[in-house]
Amino acid sequence: MIQLSRNYTLPEREDEIIPIKVIGVGGAGSNALDRIVLDGFDKADLVAANSDVQSLASSVASNKVQLGRTVTRGLGTGGDPELGYNAAAEAADEIRASIKDARLIFVCAGLGGGTGSGAAPVIAELAREAGALVIAFATMPFTFEGKRRTAQAQEALARLQEVSNAVICFENDRLGDIVAPKAGIHQAFAAADVTISQSVRSIVSLIQRPGLIRIGFDDLLSALRSPGGRCLFGFGESDSDNRAHDALTQALKNPLMDRGRLLSDATNVLVQVAGGPGMTLSEVEILMTELNRHIGDQTQILFGTAVDGRMGNRLAVTIISSLCADEAIVQKPVFPPAAVAIPPAPEPVAETKWAPEPEPPREEQEPAFAEPEQSAPPVAAPVLERPLQTIDAVMPQSEPTSPEETDEIEAIESAPAHVVQIPSDIIEPEPAQPRVILPKKKPALPKEQKPVEKIPHAKQEVMQFESVTRGRFEKSEPTIVEGQDLDVPTFLRKNVRVK
Amino acid sequence: MASSDLMVGLEIGTSKICVVVGEGRPDGTIKILGVGQAPSRGVRKGEIVDFETAMKCVHEAVVDAETNSDVMIRSVYVGVAGSHIQSFNNRGSVSLPEDRDEIDEQDIEEVKLNAREVSIPSQNAFLHSIIQHYHVDGQDGVLNPVGMLGERLEADFHIIHGVRTRIQNTIRCVKELPLEVEDVVFNALAAAQVVLTPHQKNLGALVIDIGGGTTDYILYVDGAVKQSGVLGVGGDHITNDISMGLRIPMTRAEKLKIEEGGVTLGNCLPGETVLLKDDSGFAGKEIERETLNTIIHLRLRECFELLKRKLEEESFINYLGEGIFITGGCSHLKGIDHLAEEIFELPARVAHAQTMSGLTSAFENPQFSAAIGLIKYAQAVQVDRRPRRGFGRLFGKIFNGMR
Repeated sequence: MIQLSRNYTLPEREDEIIPIKVIGVGGAGSNALDRIVLDGFDKADLVAANSDVQSLASSVASNKVQLGRTVTRGLGTGGDPELGYNAAAEAADEIRASIKDARLIFVCAGLGGGTGSGAAPVIAELAREAGALVIAFATMPFTFEGKRRTAQAQEALARLQEVSNAVICFENDRLGDIVAPKAGIHQAFAAADVTISQSVRSIVSLIQRPGLIRIGFDDLLSALRSPGGRCLFGFGESDSDNRAHDALTQALKNPLMDRGRLLSDATNVLVQVAGGPGMTLSEVEILMTELNRHIGDQTQILFGTAVDGRMGNRLAVTIISSLCADEAIVQKPVFPPAAVAIPPAPEPVAETKWAPEPEPPREEQEPAFAEPEQSAPPVAAPVLERPLQTIDAVMPQSEPTSPEETDEIEAIESAPAHVVQIPSDIIEPEPAQPRVILPKKKPALPKEQKPVEKIPHAKQEVMQFESVTRGRFEKSEPTIVEGQDLDVPTFLRKNVRVK
Repeated sequence: MASSDLMVGLEIGTSKICVVVGEGRPDGTIKILGVGQAPSRGVRKGEIVDFETAMKCVHEAVVDAETNSDVMIRSVYVGVAGSHIQSFNNRGSVSLPEDRDEIDEQDIEEVKLNAREVSIPSQNAFLHSIIQHYHVDGQDGVLNPVGMLGERLEADFHIIHGVRTRIQNTIRCVKELPLEVEDVVFNALAAAQVVLTPHQKNLGALVIDIGGGTTDYILYVDGAVKQSGVLGVGGDHITNDISMGLRIPMTRAEKLKIEEGGVTLGNCLPGETVLLKDDSGFAGKEIERETLNTIIHLRLRECFELLKRKLEEESFINYLGEGIFITGGCSHLKGIDHLAEEIFELPARVAHAQTMSGLTSAFENPQFSAAIGLIKYAQAVQVDRRPRRGFGRLFGKIFNGMR
């Protein structure tokens, strides 16, 4: 084992602490702030911005901004984003004042409601104007909160993406997974706050911690590049004997990670390993080897380590990455075609195609966030048009002009028909599979890439059949009923995938 | 202690060998004196594949039972299973001689022989011929025709048969110990004797005994066996599926199945895991509960669906007033009754031996249903044999195809 030398000197970074502000917008936002304070985070100024005075008064944040003094007169927005927008616009000066001088601004908001959905984009915009880097943490509402709320949240998310440098989106539905089955709903919401707080803290320490291999804001941005995508975030800390393994396991356990499975589809994965002076190279090596098992070959790893005396005996792993979510199709065509043309070809997995190759300058990626949602249908339309035109005779009611949600529904509806229409270039054995996969990719994929995308799926099924064995019953007389060898596991015969 | 009252049931199962020592009471109940058990080796899917090993295991179980019950075991009733066992229904008929029109016992013997004059594969032997109903001059549903007047006697039998050599293997295994084999009984038939009450048999019930290697079933309608058989799939298959699906050793898979296995899908949170502790020679592993349940669910669903299709070949399944009784080791799996309910669209419950006294822990365990059933069967047969055919217990009127 190689002990890190204590004589090795680093430029003392702690003196040049980046001024950071964390703004909690709306009820969910201030809950997240409360949690951040409870978790003992003192490296940043916290600003609570809310239209509801009562909620604002109970917030523990040091700075408070009341939104919409005249618009809402101290009441909430009643779930109306329009009102939230007006309220924030009214308080623009106050907001500007509160975020002055900050170089890094986190905007935390729960989307779906009035203040969060309406005001958060405004505040993010003001923060950008002030010249700071803006990272937005947005929680998407639970599905059971209704479609209206989800739609409002989607809209707000799109607008946040326009104005922020990066948006980390937490789906409450997935966050619910952390909570024990019998726990109350409040705990599920609290879990969201905890995760936000954890990510804010780890991102801040990620950037501020003096690093041997430093992770900078640029690394962070490229890890979070997939616009509108699902954020993969994992943080683990351990001081046990086997701390490298334990910390990683814990990080991968984060529900946003799906135990590392989702990592294989990511293009960029940011990993920071931080530990006390006792951290050894072999520990880092063990950890990274283990992590590599979850990561695809094509994935770019943005690796950083930091030695921090305050960590003591502990070893912490932070993993940040993002995936393109299904809804993100709308955003995808936004990349300049020239930039997209090169990366997709070598990559077999369709999902990874969206994120461009490593390390383009940040400016290039900003248009991604800046692309307004409204421009989506025109972009998606030409691609959708082809199948729809061919189907026209069959499904004359399909029109590619609807907004994005209906676009998706149509895409799903048209998928099987579409497969039938173009048998010449695609051989698609099962209509059930494309039903799920096609609609996601289709709108954004250039036509000639479709076969590339489908062949792996066909292959996967074949592989399942190859591995058919009878295990324990290998040598006994087979039990054959109705032409099926019952000794072969049912899930293999029915081709059900178990992990 | 009069040895004739002592009855011993021996079930050579795929996962365990089980010996139950019981004592018949004059009132028809049974008292369990002791139970002996031994893990089974050399048995696959209910049939002996390794003679020597299986014999050792049987010996172990018998010794265990002798110690527990303080009884010297000389003769046993042996339960058999195996996918070679088949069944069918057949009707035999005799015409009474001109000079006589009262049906007597001789006629009944004759009609039984007559019913068995059907072609079964040459290597097969009869296990049971179980009377369903008599018909006297076309009159249906006669239970006991002795003393009735008529010209023509017909009888419906349910005939269970299996491959002779395989059944003999089991017998030989016991005989070499040496123990006397009183009778060979189809496992499901034995289990049904203790799981079902006569009333339930009358209303119509299906007993599914899911053991380690096989799933045995028997269907009663109007108090008579209408369908029975064996499906060569059991708990071992579930364990094997788990072992292959999750890539863990068989012993781990077995333990996981017993301790954590469930049948119901969508009942656990996504991401809910079961932790397999690490052990010597086995690195710990976390297993998603839903995955585990999916594997079990798919296997059992398929098993039930196959059974249902088999049973639907005849219409008796539509006359089950009492529904389904699931017994055997696999009935411990959580939610198995709900799955059966869903597939058969009939009420289903997990059942164990009823109407016993003695070791309650023994008969309340569905694993022992068949072994205890053997004793009940033995009791019925003995009652039937000694006082020279008394009242007409349906299953008592069985004669033995073997020996």
